[in-house]
Amino acid sequence: MYENRRLGFLFVLPFVLGVVLFKLFPFAMSFALSFTEYDVMDPPRFVGLQNYRELALEDPLFRQSLGVTLWFAVLAVPLRVGFALFIAHVLNFRLRGINFFRSAFYLPSILGGSIAVAVLWRFLFARNGLVNGVLGHFGVEPIAWLADEHYSMWTIVLLFTWQFGSAMVIFLAALQNVPQSLYEAAEIDGASRNQQFWRITVPLITPVIFFNLIMQMVNAFQEFNAPYMVTEGGPLSSTYVLALYIYDQSFRYFNLGYGSALSWVLFALVAGLAGLSFWSQRYWVFYAGEKEGRK
Amino acid sequence: MSAAPAPTTASQRGSPWLRYLALALVSVLMLYPLVWLVGATFKSNAEIFTEIGFIPSRLSFEAYVKGWKTSTEYTFATYFLNSFLITVPRIVVTVISCVLVAYAFARFEFFARRTLFAVMVGTMMLPLIVLRLPQYLMFREVGLLDSYWPLILPSAFATDTFFVFLLVQFLRGIPRDMEEAAMIDGCNALQMLWHIIVPLLKPAIISVIVFQFIWTMNDFMGPLIYLASVEKYPVSLALKMSIGATEEVEWANVIAISVVALIPSVVVFFAAQKHFIEGATSSGIKG
Amino acid sequence: MAELSLRKVEKTYPNGFKAVHGVDLEVRDGEFMVFVGPSGCAKSTLLRMIAGLESITAGELAIGGRRVNDLPPKARGIAMVFQNYALYPHMKVYDNLAFGLRLAGTPKAQLDQRVRHAARLLEMEHLLDRYPKQLSGGQAQRVAVGRAIVKQPEVFLFDEPLSNLDAKLRAAMRVRLTELHRTLRAEGRPATVIYVTHDQTEAMTMGERICVLKDGVIQQVDTPVALYQRPANAFVAGFIGSPEMNLLAGELVALDDGPGVRLGQQVLALPAARAGGLGGRRGPVTFGLRPEHLGAVGRPDALPLQCTLKFVEHMGSEVYVNADLDGLAVSARVPAEQAQALAEAPRGAPCTLHAWMSHAHLFDAQTGAALA
Repeated sequence: MYENRRLGFLFVLPFVLGVVLFKLFPFAMSFALSFTEYDVMDPPRFVGLQNYRELALEDPLFRQSLGVTLWFAVLAVPLRVGFALFIAHVLNFRLRGINFFRSAFYLPSILGGSIAVAVLWRFLFARNGLVNGVLGHFGVEPIAWLADEHYSMWTIVLLFTWQFGSAMVIFLAALQNVPQSLYEAAEIDGASRNQQFWRITVPLITPVIFFNLIMQMVNAFQEFNAPYMVTEGGPLSSTYVLALYIYDQSFRYFNLGYGSALSWVLFALVAGLAGLSFWSQRYWVFYAGEKEGRK
Repeated sequence: MSAAPAPTTASQRGSPWLRYLALALVSVLMLYPLVWLVGATFKSNAEIFTEIGFIPSRLSFEAYVKGWKTSTEYTFATYFLNSFLITVPRIVVTVISCVLVAYAFARFEFFARRTLFAVMVGTMMLPLIVLRLPQYLMFREVGLLDSYWPLILPSAFATDTFFVFLLVQFLRGIPRDMEEAAMIDGCNALQMLWHIIVPLLKPAIISVIVFQFIWTMNDFMGPLIYLASVEKYPVSLALKMSIGATEEVEWANVIAISVVALIPSVVVFFAAQKHFIEGATSSGIKG
Repeated sequence: MAELSLRKVEKTYPNGFKAVHGVDLEVRDGEFMVFVGPSGCAKSTLLRMIAGLESITAGELAIGGRRVNDLPPKARGIAMVFQNYALYPHMKVYDNLAFGLRLAGTPKAQLDQRVRHAARLLEMEHLLDRYPKQLSGGQAQRVAVGRAIVKQPEVFLFDEPLSNLDAKLRAAMRVRLTELHRTLRAEGRPATVIYVTHDQTEAMTMGERICVLKDGVIQQVDTPVALYQRPANAFVAGFIGSPEMNLLAGELVALDDGPGVRLGQQVLALPAARAGGLGGRRGPVTFGLRPEHLGAVGRPDALPLQCTLKFVEHMGSEVYVNADLDGLAVSARVPAEQAQALAEAPRGAPCTLHAWMSHAHLFDAQTGAALA
């Protein structure tokens, strides 16, 4: 029955249609639109590379937005992945409460992407919100988290980091796959706990570290809800990530051509970084016992 | 018998208490905001801004009542109903299409199977944002704006590739013996799917349902782009509205209703916890 | 009628690997036929081709006289018992047994009767309400067999069904399956069985005829006794019988009164019965003699071999003697009473083993084919 190629194709047909209709076709359309000027009322007008030239040379807001996005990624991704690994390592024991803690840390990552949490976060960091309240107990002056462009980025970075649970769960599974016997052999060899972590654990889970870094990087570059709801891109565009800029250009100002060009820049950025990461794999990612190529 | 066996390696020795302390500290830091916020919903406005303890001096449900009513002509009953009107159909079509497609990829031979699978994995990493605008224009062209169709339809075509991937990986781990026995028993493809495959896939399907439920309830940008009429707004858009353009926000009400908005997701999470975490680790998850 | 015939059946995989090379076989109605061979010999592949789980690249397969190459499994009149039982984990035992019948639209009364009859035959009526995960290995295996019986097929296919069971259970199931075959025959519904195994004990005790396979080619099809006494080639000779037959490199030479074989420095005269088909052959030959046909004491038909003792293994009622015959390794199976001296002799001591020449075999040194 499984050799029936026609049947197999029939079953996979929804996906084929879906990919063409909702992924490949829009992909191509986006590319085409980036070379036009289009405001939905009138038909698109071909303008060649004008959009790209504009964003590269004449748009300070783009440069600001790009910088903000990169800065966000640089801060948030290592924090999230690092925390996830740290907590997973701490959890990786025959601890009795492991299920409780695992759920406790996982919950925020499920809820964190919601608007509800963004709203709550905004409240927490308000001038007279909980964060300042707690800081006040330690004698710290209230910080204008949301109004001061030097601090606003940290609110969304913290929200992103708060959701480390999903990466943590993956790390935990990977850590539990490292055979105990390796640690035992290392202890006989005289390695301290610290040495064991850095010389055995970390090298053996580099594939998972790699995976998490890539996934979280892709997530970070697309982050929309938090900047939109918590800081509204401000103040003074200090949290105006590219996703927001693209949204504004596309759906508020209806510069669809320009918006498309912007989204393609974002795509190229993510694809480029992903490609770079994949290429860099052979220098630091160690795949144990995997045969080359699959049948 | 004697006590639990003594830990044998350095990584197991060394006070577990230190670890418990670290974990407890982090969980307090992480969860206290949520706990405090729940407490805040029962406080008066003045108390919210002065007290960092989370226990209210007196219980008041006023915030919940006011927040539920909202300042619009609809109560949150409408908005929750809308959320479910989007979520439930979406889950149904997701499960059906993803199971069919995953079954094909995991078991059948067909034209360009490997290429298509590579395409599927590739699109998993595609930044969605590139596709938003063109999809919007497409739906606009066929007059489906301001309806739930753009939010449900793509999932009917197995475009949630994460779920297809999850199901394929799960199915690949199941030996074919039972299907061969069923073939000898006389099953055709659809009977096989219904009697054998779907029951075997049950844990993974539950993961799909749980994830899709929570992600759809949380979805903001989708409804933001496609819905214009307030009466069609799901909870996520209604929350945004409650912050609105005014400077003065009735924080107590807003927090109350945000907490309520999170309840379905939390309930589903705890109800299906075991499946959740297994599903996440078996194939990697988007955060 | 449920005879089965394979004519020039071949299987080539898409990557070019040819697993089955031109197999011809006739299985009689109601016969218990065993496929046996080392791993990789394609016995399971052949079975699956008969079942319809693998396609047949060339040749013809006929069941009950009809060609079934292009028929799906359910239309071939076969039932299969899998090595891993392949029970449906989410169905009770009753439903596992009933599944195929339900799909075929069998009326409820008849379905129930067939399921309970099979359960009775296998003594598992008390298990009908359980789920597979509540069953032991042996019970699960019985359910798998029951599922096949319920279908009342023309041909039963068994794919190494006992290999997942422990030794004691295996022995018990062997007996049960053989008796089942006889019971079905006595009931007037003889069952044609094709049974795949790598275990030659199962093959020898259960099979009415055995088909020995190697690398996708049939080596010999015969009754167990015939395979033991008259192996068609060196492979079959070495495969059947435990411990393995001694296969020694020797040379056919001419003696005064007939042919003889030189082993090492010694020459043994061949008895007239064995010498008959040799013609005037000379030169290299493979000499075969089973360990149980090498004795510690003399016999009228036995010739002595001077060997050097290497070591001895005590098996209780027997002693396995491992010796060296001018550079050739030889093993003998000697009853304990006769082996006293040997058992106490030190390593390297000279010993005499008596070869029962009437049971000697000769095989072509190149092809392995039996000579005489």
